[in-house]
Amino acid sequence: MRSFEDLNPIAVSVYFLMITFIFMFTMDVFLIVISFFGALTYFFTKNGLSKPKSHVFPLILFIITALINPFISHNGATVLFVLNNNPITLESAIYGLVMATMLTGVLYWFRIFSEIMTSEKLIYVFGALSPKIALMLSLSLRYVPYFAQQVKKVKNTQTALGLYKEDNILDRIRGAMRIFSVMVTWVLENGIITADSMTARGYGIGKRSRFSIFSWKPWDISLLALSCLLSGIAVFLLKNNPFSFYPYFEFPSLNAKTLTGYMLYFLLSLLPTIIHVKEAAKWRFLRSKI
Amino acid sequence: MAFLAVENLTFTYPGKKEPAIKGVSFEAEKGEFICICGATGSGKSTLLRLLKRELAPIGEKSGNISLSGANQEALSDEDSAYKIGFVMQRPEQQLVTDKVWHELAFGLENMNLPRAAIARRVSEMAAYFGIEEWYEKDVNDLSGGQKQLLNLAAVMVMQPDILILDEPTSQLDPIAASEFIQTVKKLNRDFALTVLITEHRLEEVVPVSDKMIVLEKGSVLYSDAPEVTISKLTADSPLLLAMPAAARLYHALSEKGSCPIEIKDGRRMIEQKYRTSIRALPEPQPSSETAPALSFRNVYFRYDRHGRDILNGVSFTVQTGEIYAILGGNGSGKTTSLSVASALLKPYAGEVRVFDKKIGDYKNQSLYRECLTRLPQDVQTVFLANTVKEELRGAEYGMSLLPIDFTRFFDMHPYDLSGGEQQLLALAKVLSTKPKLLLLDEPTKGVDALTKQKLTAVLKSLKDSGMTVVLVTHDVEFAAETADKCAMFFRGDLVSAGTPREFFSKNSFYTTPVSRMTRGIFENAVTLSGARDLCLKNGRKGEEA
Repeated sequence: MRSFEDLNPIAVSVYFLMITFIFMFTMDVFLIVISFFGALTYFFTKNGLSKPKSHVFPLILFIITALINPFISHNGATVLFVLNNNPITLESAIYGLVMATMLTGVLYWFRIFSEIMTSEKLIYVFGALSPKIALMLSLSLRYVPYFAQQVKKVKNTQTALGLYKEDNILDRIRGAMRIFSVMVTWVLENGIITADSMTARGYGIGKRSRFSIFSWKPWDISLLALSCLLSGIAVFLLKNNPFSFYPYFEFPSLNAKTLTGYMLYFLLSLLPTIIHVKEAAKWRFLRSKI
Repeated sequence: MAFLAVENLTFTYPGKKEPAIKGVSFEAEKGEFICICGATGSGKSTLLRLLKRELAPIGEKSGNISLSGANQEALSDEDSAYKIGFVMQRPEQQLVTDKVWHELAFGLENMNLPRAAIARRVSEMAAYFGIEEWYEKDVNDLSGGQKQLLNLAAVMVMQPDILILDEPTSQLDPIAASEFIQTVKKLNRDFALTVLITEHRLEEVVPVSDKMIVLEKGSVLYSDAPEVTISKLTADSPLLLAMPAAARLYHALSEKGSCPIEIKDGRRMIEQKYRTSIRALPEPQPSSETAPALSFRNVYFRYDRHGRDILNGVSFTVQTGEIYAILGGNGSGKTTSLSVASALLKPYAGEVRVFDKKIGDYKNQSLYRECLTRLPQDVQTVFLANTVKEELRGAEYGMSLLPIDFTRFFDMHPYDLSGGEQQLLALAKVLSTKPKLLLLDEPTKGVDALTKQKLTAVLKSLKDSGMTVVLVTHDVEFAAETADKCAMFFRGDLVSAGTPREFFSKNSFYTTPVSRMTRGIFENAVTLSGARDLCLKNGRKGEEA
C-alpha cells in the first residue's frame, strides 16, 4: 500500500514546492486560508492527535504574530480603539491575522515535509539535480555518526585512563583539545582506507549510473502531473487578483474564473489527505479479506 | 595455464633495503581456496594488496602477476576493479554510504549499469546473503559481523572471479567469524570462486582450505595441502599457535605421520595411539579467600527508561589478586558491566564496590588515578599522540612489565602498528597509572596468536605482582589459558562461575576446542597443555607406562 508519504520523493517534493510557493508569495487571503486548512487537515489525518505538546509552539507563534502587527503598525482607516495614544486599526488586525495564518500554514507544511522526507529521500531528490552532491551527502551521512561514535568512545576511554586529572573546566577543555587533535588523525587514517575501498570497487573509472530504491509508478506520475497542472491553472486564473489591506481591507469580488482557481487550489491542498484517506480505506477493505 | 599465476614477485617499499616480498611464486586454480599464513610482518598483506592493482602499495616491484593468462598491467581498468574482489580487515572503514542498499549498489553504480540491472543484482545478492531484513537500515546500526558480511556482499555483487580477504574476521566475535568463513566457503563451493585469505584465527579456515601457503620474511616457506604444510612446521614455530587444536596436539606430542586438522581427527589420534586409563588431572588446591577487589551486588542497568535491563540484578565478587574472565555472547551485558565497574555508566539500582569502597565515594577522578584502569575494546581510542615515543612518555613502568621492545617502533604512528602491537602498546600506556585493578575489554580482538600467548604471560606476571585483572572476552581458549575464574553472562546476569577446568569441562557447547576434542575421553582437559599432560601420563598404547 502506498500512501502519500510513500510516493516518489521527487513527485512529493514538487508538490510541496508548488503548494508552498503559491501562497508564500501572494497576499491572497483565500489561498492562505485554503492552504492552512489543507495543511492542518493532512497533518491530523496522518498523525491523529498524538503529541499534543508539539502544537503549543505553532499556537504561540500564531497568537504573537497576529497580535504584534496591530500594535506596531497603525495604518488603516477603521480605528477600533486607542491605546496609549496609538490607534489600533481593524485593517492592521486583519493583516496580522492573515500573516499569522500564512506563517503557521508554512510551518505545518514544513513539518509534514520533514516527517516524510527522510535523509535517503532527500539524497534521491538532490541526486536528480547533481549525482555528485548526492553521493557526497550519502558519504557524510555515513561518516558523521561514525565520527561522533568514535569521539564518544575516545572520551570514555580517556576518562577511565585519567586524562581528566581534576573535575574542573580548564582540565576538561585541555582534554577535549587533545581528543580533537587525535580525531583529525583518525579521520585521515579512516579516509584513506575508505578511499581504497571505493577505488577497489571501481569508483572513478568512468561515468556512474545511479540506483535508488524509489521508482516511478502510475500514481507517482499522476501526483507529479496533478501538482503541476492544478497549480499552473490556478496561478493562471488567479493572477491579477489584487487584495489590498490599507487604508481599507478590500478584496476583488468572486467570479467564475477566480472561483475555479480557488477550487483547483483547494483540490491541490487536499491532495495528500485524499490519497491518504483513499489508501486507508482501500487497505481496510483489503484487510477484511485476509 | 593457471587461473592466477604469481611468478617470482619481489617488492620493496620505498626507502627500505630489505624487500617485503622476495621471489614469491604460486598459482591458484579456478575454485581453489587458499589460506596464506605467516607471522606479523611476514608480508601477507603486502602480497595480497599487490594482487589488486588499485590497492598495490607504492614501491619497487619486479616479477609477474597474471590473471587468466593476461598480465596484471594489461587488464582494463574495469576488469581489474570488478574481477578481483577485496575485503579488508576493519568492517567499519570499508563502508562508503549510509544505507545498506546503497552500499550494495555502490560498485554497480560505478560499473554504470542501468537501474533495472542494478535492482536485479542487488536483490539477488541480498537474498543470497540473507540481508533482506536489514536492506533499508543505516549501516551505522549494524553489528560488526553484519557490517563485514555487507562488505563481502558489496564486493560479490560485482561478480568477481577471485576474492581476496585480508584478515576479514579479526575484528569479529567467534560466532560472527565462523559465520563469515562459512559464507565465504559457500561462495567458493557454489560459484567455483577462487579465494585467497589471510587470517589470525585458523581454527575455522584451515579445514576448508585446499592449499596453505606459509610466508616467512616475504618468501614462501611451504605451499601445500594444509595437513602436509602443518606437519612440516617445526614444533617451536610460532605459526603453530594459530592452528586448529588437533594440529597443535599433534605437534605437542611430537607425532609422526599425517596431521589431524579437525576435531574428529584429533579424537581419533588420541583414541588410537594413547591409553586412556587416567581420565582426569588432579585439581589444584583452591586458593584461600582474599579481600574482595570488585564486587557487584544486585546491580541493574539500562540505557534508557523504556529500554530493557542490560544488567539484570548482577551479583559477583572478584578476589584481590585473581584473573577473572567474563564470557558470554553479544549483548549479554559483558562490556556494560565493565563500564559500570569503571564508573562510566551509573546503575539505577544496586551497589558496586571497588576495594570495599562504594564506587560513588571516589571523588575528583581519584578512582582513575590510583585505583583502576580500563583498556577498551577499540585500543585505538587509547592513543592521543603522533608517535609511539610520545605515546609512551611517562609509561616506563608499563613498558618494563611487557615482553616487547617498543624502541624499534618509536618513530612510527601508533595506528601503523599491527593489531597485536597496538594492544601491547595500549596496555603499556594504561599500566603507567600503576592500577591495582585492571579491566580489559576483549584484549585478544585483532591480536595474532603469538601476541595472545605473550598477553597470557603478561597478565599472569601482573597477577603475581598483586594486581587484580577482570577481563571480558569471547575467546574461550584465551580465558581457559589465562584466568583463575571464569564466569558466563547471559541476558544481563551471571549464570555460572568456576575455575576454568570445572567451567569448561561442564560446558558442552560453549567451551574450548580441546575440551570438545577430549570430551568422553578425558574429564578435565580444557587447555592444550592439559590434554598433552594427560596423554603423556597415560602413555602410548603398546609401550610400557
